[in-house]
Amino acid sequence: MANDTTQTHESTGADGHASGGGLPQFQFVWWPGQVVWLLLIFVVLYVLLSKLFLPRVGGTIQTRADKIAADVAQARDLKTQAEAESATALAELAKARSHAQRTASEAKAKANAEAATRQAAEEAVLAEKLAVAEDRIRVSRDAALGNVRTIASDIAAAITDKLTGVAATTDEVETALTAAKA
Amino acid sequence: MADPMHQFQINKVVDLPTVNLPGLGVVDLSITNSVVAMGMAAGLICVFFALAARQAVVPGRLQSVGEMLYSLVDDLAGSIIGHEGKVFFPFVFTLFSFILAMNFLGMFLVFTATSQLAVTATLALLTILTVVVVGFSRNGIGMYKLFVPSGVPWPLLFLMVPIEIISFLVRPVTLALRLFGNMIGGHVVLKIFAGFIISLGLLASGGGIASLGILGSVVSLGSVVALTALEFIVAFLQAFVFAALTCVYLNDVVNLDSH
Repeated sequence: MANDTTQTHESTGADGHASGGGLPQFQFVWWPGQVVWLLLIFVVLYVLLSKLFLPRVGGTIQTRADKIAADVAQARDLKTQAEAESATALAELAKARSHAQRTASEAKAKANAEAATRQAAEEAVLAEKLAVAEDRIRVSRDAALGNVRTIASDIAAAITDKLTGVAATTDEVETALTAAKA
Repeated sequence: MADPMHQFQINKVVDLPTVNLPGLGVVDLSITNSVVAMGMAAGLICVFFALAARQAVVPGRLQSVGEMLYSLVDDLAGSIIGHEGKVFFPFVFTLFSFILAMNFLGMFLVFTATSQLAVTATLALLTILTVVVVGFSRNGIGMYKLFVPSGVPWPLLFLMVPIEIISFLVRPVTLALRLFGNMIGGHVVLKIFAGFIISLGLLASGGGIASLGILGSVVSLGSVVALTALEFIVAFLQAFVFAALTCVYLNDVVNLDSH
């Protein structure tokens, strides 16, 4: 504690007053000087503080409060603006999406129509080929069926020849075949 | 052991001629250690605010402390006196910072100005005179309402009015003695315990059973450390209390009608 070094530092000039015992504060000889100096210093300090320092500190605090308020207001404005822009963007997005969907469905319909047309064309070609093939088959079958009669008459003539030893005439075989067929 | 009261002894530092002030008579305006302490306190405040009263929007450490002190007293004056607190704020702040600076300087230097009754009494009288002047200039003769509580049955006024007058007259006395008593008490106790450290240590050096004195010496040292911390709190608190009571007394006369 700094006070503890006092006794070596303080001069002994005032011992005449201190020897009365009691508190040094009650040596009234020192009072007027202290009171006058205190009032003087207090007034100077009051003037300096109230005219110079306190307005500066108060002004800074006020400026800061104003700046913070302004910044908050600006931030709020920007937020509102951003929200509005966000809403616009969302609307545009929705519009773009519906447009894209429409385009896609149109393209799909077009593709489907083209596919159907092509399929129909292919089917027509196939049907034609099928008809040609069927005609050919029919011709072949008819030919084959005609051959069957010839083979049957040949076989009948041969069997008759083997069984009776007499070769049947063509007319007899034909007659018999026609009868059998009926 | 050194006289614990010796630290309050006033000495001349610079001898100046006496001045005959009107109304006060002959005054010895010599610079004493008390005046030096006051001047240093005032100078400290000016230096502090010269450095701290910067106008940065984002404050540094020193500026933060300055603004903290400003807000502390501003809130105090505003909450007690109301919207008119702004008018008295510089006065209250000057009182607060001046007392605070003198108290704190007393913790670091060899002399505490606020442990002089002359200083605390002057500050208390200054405060009360300000209250009286403000009261009369605002309310004129209506100041008497301060001593006549409203809403009291008239027979009780015979009891209440003297009590109110006495309580008003006692204010400067309590204001002066509270600060004076706190500061002198703390410094005397510190001094006594600090003296114990040395005297008990010397006793212990004698050897034998007296060696136990070293224990007392250690306890005293611990007490001095703890009391020093306590004294720092007291130094701040008493400045704050003085400012708060000044606000309360000013509020009594400023808002007399709602009293």
